[in-house]
Formats: sequence, C-alpha cells, structure tokens
Amino acid sequence: MPFSRRALIQYTALWPFLGFALSPTGANGRANRLVIADEGGDRGLPAPFLHHKDGIGYLYTSYIFDTLIAQDRTGKLVGGLARAWQLSSDGLSCTITLRDNIRWHDGSPLTAKDVVFTVAYMAKHPYLFVSTVKIARAVALSANRLNILLREPDAGLLSGTLLNLPILPEHLYAGHASPERFTSGSALMGSGPYRFSGYDRAEGRYFFKGNTDYYRGDPLFDQMAIVTMGPDAALRAMRSGEVDLIPFLPYDRVTQARSMGFQVVTAASNHVVRLLFNNRNRFQDRDRRHALAFAIHRKALIETVRQGEAAPAETGFFQPNSPWGGDTALPPYAFDPQQAQTLLSKSGWSRDQHKRWCSDGEVIHLTLVTDTPLRREAVVVSEQLESIGLSVDVRILERTALREALRSGNFDLSLLSTSTMGDPSDLARYLAGDFWNGDYFAGSREMTALLEQQAQVVSLHQRKALLAKFQALYAYELPSYMLFNPNYATAHNHKIAPRFLPDGVAIGIPTSVHKSVLVG
Amino acid sequence: MAENRMIRPVQVKLIVLFTLGLCLLPAVVYFLPGYQTSLDTLAAPSLEHWLGTNDIGQDILTGLLIATPNTIGIAVIAALLTLLLSIGVGIFVATAGRKLSGLVLRFIDILQSIPSILLILLVSVWLSPGMIALVVLLVATGWYDDVRVLRAVFLRELTRENVRYASIGGESGYYCMTVHVLPAVSPVLVGLFIQHIRRAALMTAGLGFLGITDTRLVTWGSMIQDSLNYLYTDAWLWLLLPPTLVLCLFLWGCLTFGQRFERYVMTGARLSV
Repeated sequence: MPFSRRALIQYTALWPFLGFALSPTGANGRANRLVIADEGGDRGLPAPFLHHKDGIGYLYTSYIFDTLIAQDRTGKLVGGLARAWQLSSDGLSCTITLRDNIRWHDGSPLTAKDVVFTVAYMAKHPYLFVSTVKIARAVALSANRLNILLREPDAGLLSGTLLNLPILPEHLYAGHASPERFTSGSALMGSGPYRFSGYDRAEGRYFFKGNTDYYRGDPLFDQMAIVTMGPDAALRAMRSGEVDLIPFLPYDRVTQARSMGFQVVTAASNHVVRLLFNNRNRFQDRDRRHALAFAIHRKALIETVRQGEAAPAETGFFQPNSPWGGDTALPPYAFDPQQAQTLLSKSGWSRDQHKRWCSDGEVIHLTLVTDTPLRREAVVVSEQLESIGLSVDVRILERTALREALRSGNFDLSLLSTSTMGDPSDLARYLAGDFWNGDYFAGSREMTALLEQQAQVVSLHQRKALLAKFQALYAYELPSYMLFNPNYATAHNHKIAPRFLPDGVAIGIPTSVHKSVLVG
Repeated sequence: MAENRMIRPVQVKLIVLFTLGLCLLPAVVYFLPGYQTSLDTLAAPSLEHWLGTNDIGQDILTGLLIATPNTIGIAVIAALLTLLLSIGVGIFVATAGRKLSGLVLRFIDILQSIPSILLILLVSVWLSPGMIALVVLLVATGWYDDVRVLRAVFLRELTRENVRYASIGGESGYYCMTVHVLPAVSPVLVGLFIQHIRRAALMTAGLGFLGITDTRLVTWGSMIQDSLNYLYTDAWLWLLLPPTLVLCLFLWGCLTFGQRFERYVMTGARLSV
C-alpha cells in the first residue's frame, strides 16, 4: 500500500499549518496577517551582511534589525533604540541614551555594549550601506548610555549613519570572523518589530512574525509574508483577498488597480532615470555633455516609455521635495537639436558626407550600456541621439557585467536608475568615488570641495547652503543628465496605510512600506 | 508515381518564391518608415498601423517584416554551416585512421556531455549576441550531434560496391564522394538540415524570448517577449498572436517540406533502380 491510513491522517492534520507556509492564501484569511506581493523575488536572507546589495534587501532587513535613530510615519527623525542623543558643540562626540528594557528577539537585554560592539564590528567588516569611517570608536558609559567619538565632524551622523546602522547582538555576532558566512538562525536575531520566521530562496518568499515585545508599539500584524508575484497575478490575488499590498505597482496598472476598488498611493519616486556620460573619456568635454542633453527630448521619452507617468527630472542631483536641493532655478536643457549640433561641432567633432559625426576622420560609435529594466528607455534614447547623426550601439548587460563596464570605463553612455534621496554625506563618493553606479566625475574641484565641506559642517543651515551650490553646479557641469523622475505606486487594501516618505526610507529607499506603517 | 512527379515543380516554385520573398523583405523594409518608436503606444490595429503598435510605439507589421528575414536568415545560415561542418568532420572520421578518428570521436563525446542549452544561455547572458555571434554560437553547439550519424552513413556508403569499383577504376576520392556517396546520403542530409533549421529558429526565438540577445536584433522571439507584459490586457491580441503565428507557420512549413522532400527522394531512388 503506497499510503498508509495513518500517514494520510498525519498529512491531513498538517494541512492547516502548511497552508500559510505554502501559499499566500492560507485557509481563513485572518485579519492580522499581511501578505505583500513583490515582483523582485529573492533579496537574500534579511540580515545586514546577507541581504542582496539593493535597497529592498536593506528594507526587509530593517524589519528585523532596529537602528539607534528611526523615522516616523512622515519621515521625521525620532528615537529608535536611542531615547535621546546629544551632539557636542565641536561635533566630535555624541552621547546616546538607550531606551530602557529593550530586548533582542531571543529575550536577552540590548545594552550599550551591543552598540559599541556593532561600531567596532562594522569597522572591521564594512557594511556596504553604512559607512562608519568617520567614527573613531564608541565607549559604553553605563548599561544604557554610550559615547560615540568621531574622527572629524560628520554632518550626516544623525540622519545618515545612526539612522541607517543596524545594531547587532554582541552575544550572537561576536566571534564570527566572516559575517557573510554566518547564515544560521542566530544571524537573523534582531530587535525590530518583526521576527524572522522563514525564507524560501527558490520561491523568493519571506515569513515574519510580529515581535510582541516591541518597544515602539505593537506590530500591526501577527504574521507577515512577502511573496514573489508579477503585478497582474498580484492584482488578481488581491481581488480574492490573498494579497494585501503591492508595494511597487507598475505605472501602467494604476488605473486598473483603482478600477478594481483598491487604494493606490503614488508619489514621485525620486529614483531618477539618468544618462551617465563617460566622464573619464569621450565626455570629459562639458560641451559634449550639454550637446547630448539638448539632443534628448525628455517629454517624448516619458510619453513613449512611461505613458506620461513620470516628470522630467531636475537637472541638478536633488529632486523636488528634497530637503537638500535649495530652490535655485536650474537649466532645463529643453530639446534643441540645432544647439546640440553646434555644441558638438564646438567640441571638435565634425560630420562626414553621410552626416555622421566623426572624430579625427573616424565615425563615432557610441556604446550605451544598461540592464534589462531600462531597455525600452535605451531604445528610445538611442533613436533620439541617432536622429542628430550619432551612431549608438545599445548593449543590455547582465548586472555584474554592467558593474564591470562602468568601473572599467568601457562604455560611452549608460542609463541607470538611482535614488537621489537619503542623507547626502556620502555624495562625494557618488560623484567621484567608488560607487559602482556613481558619476566617476573628477572634472570640477569646486564640486568635490563643496561635498567634502557639507559632510563636515555641524550647522544644518550652512550645510543646506553648500548643497544648494552643489546642486546648481551639478546642473551646469552635468556629470549625468537626469532624465525623468518616475512615479511609484503602491496598491493596498484596508489593512494597512502605506506612505511614501519625502526623502525616502533610511538610505533613501523609495518605498511606502517603511516599518513605521507596520507598527500600531 | 504520378503524384510525386506533380509535387516536384510545385515544390521548386514554392522554394523559389519563398527565397525570393526573403531576399525582397529587407528591400521592402528599407522603404518602410523603420521600426521607430513613437508616441502611438499600444495602438490597436488600424489603417495607419495594420497590426497595431507595441508598448513603445513600434509598428508590429514593420517589426514582423524585419524579424522574419532575421529569424529565418539566422536559422538557415546556422543550419547550413552546422551541416557543412558536421559533414566535413563526418567524412574525416569515416576515412581517417583508427587512432585519429578515435581521438576526434572522444573529443565529440566530451562536447556531447556538456548540455548545450546551458552553454548557450551562459554565453548569451554575457555577450547578448547579435546576428553573427548568434550564428557562431548555434553552429558551435550544434555540429557535434550529427557526426556519429554521418560517420555511420558514410562508412556504409563508402564500403558499397559502386564506390569500390569507381575507386579501383582510378576515379578520385572527390569524384566518388560527389557522384556516388553524397547523392546516396542526401535524404539524411536534408533531414538533418531541416532539423537544424527548426532547432536554430526555435533557439533564436527562445533566446530572444528570454531577452538575452542584442536589443536591436528584432526576432520573432524578441517580439513575443515584448508582449509578455501585456498578456492580461487586450493588447496581447496584436502583440502576441502575429509573431507566434508566423513562428508556428514556419516550423510547420519546415516539417512539411522535410517530409515531402524525403518522400520524393525515397521514391525517386526506388525508381532509378
């Protein structure tokens, strides 16, 4: 007999438990369970050194790991694990008082020693999303008080480092020399509003349980699942009550979602699609960068690939609503093919008898590299550039190959989607440093100096003034041409009220499912 | 008998027409406005766009006209080159000494033990091949599967009496090959050729479908891929159906042609005895 009666009974008895693990539906649809449908799939294990190197991987991790400073539902900085903090007048030390009675998910108390450990551990094992280089060390003053000593003043200490740095449990992480290989359940023990309860890499599923001991209020949900599902399937599942939230609803499904009776929140994502010039090679010349900007018809691009669901971006780095960009009017580089051609001629390029652009008698072939999500944009941009006589070769690269191409400078143009939100203390690294999708731009000493200064000044007012200057210079120098600012949308039902934050979540993630909306 | 004789001219005419059509397609495309993007996105079929437009406003009919010679061209060229290569190696292992042919056959064993689809996917993801790279890739991963079959066929033919007599009679190897061996194995060759065309067409479509060929290379597969986002909307009608139908039609045509040709050659061979 292939199946004994007893086994059959056992299997049947297991079903109610398997229901949640196997399908997002479950049998009874309890009100305090949240199911999130994410198209992206696997983001790695939700722990600081294990998640994928993208914002969403960081976001999932933030549900489990708390930080010293947190954001409230409007994005304002509020106390996280820290109850209070006091920055010294020279900006070189910060005294932090932790909340009382905060505990790790395993029940052991979270103390100042854990924070001191985290700072030392991250110094030894740098964490991609938070740079701690400016922190000299942290010293515990008592069980719930500590001092963070800085090497130099850090303007982004509160809104950057302390907001983003996940605090690790010393008793679990100490002794692990390579955190990337520390993948057991203890690596996922944090102090955040949700506990890790399961992960299926192949299916890209995550399961969380509400942390009933949470110090900032009760988690809204006993259980939370994130499942991989395309937008159309997710909308259908939402109609039958299997899914509650689609954090990234494609722009062309918004009307459909509304007509199905779901609530949709939208916001300018400030995750801008930009055209990066190779500033180390062909496009060192500012005139050429300006020429290409004039040759691109951004409104037509938006109408074609986004059916209008985006706005032409600010040509400076910061986008509208950013607290950092100031309010100087910036050049819009309105579509002007004539101007583009004049500037290209001025830069030393000439046209042959077939009207193709040449440099030293050789026809110029520009290589535009990007990855799959932006391939439609790449086709339209290359067509627009070809209409002024430039020959463009589009290469859609796999992510690692794209990274390599940008690092090695083996490209002329690249289309990238980048967040412009979050504390700008790291912006110097983005402009001319080691960020793989940065600008690799060393053409303006003034810009570099401004960025270095703003990262150190203690006065917020002064910092904003410096960044506003940088913003204007960025639009003039144009290391990248900011093309458009897409609208992001989140569809949801009555269980949850997602909300986009003006300067993004933590490191600048354009999501509406910040952990503050998951806590009551 | 009579039926077979009647098939022949029709087939020849069809082949000629088909080839001519394929050669003319690029010329037709040249005079068309081009596969340009436009603000007319996801437009349903109309007088202006007979088969509608896709999500970035490219005309589907123009796309088909460009994709057809691309896909078939890649398939035919790849199949031809694959076959030539495998015939060459097949003859070599059939005629070379035991050690040398053993060496080549072991090498082929190694190649055959590598799953070619994985190899193609891997290389494609890194290179996102254009037309020429795609042909090279298809030939490089397709030729070795035929060698054993061809070796057996050539060995059988080479040991036949007519070849021996010709050889003893002082005819050159080239003469024996072209006059006696190749005509005798032609049904097998045609069969393999058709099989390769189908494989290459499917593979090209498949890679285009996965979106790992060059973006500028429009194939039936890449057009099908473009439609995937819109399967839940009405646009699937004009996005998905045309390239899929053309692909099915082509594969069916290959199959039918292969069968008819085989039947013709087989019965023709019997007649001449």
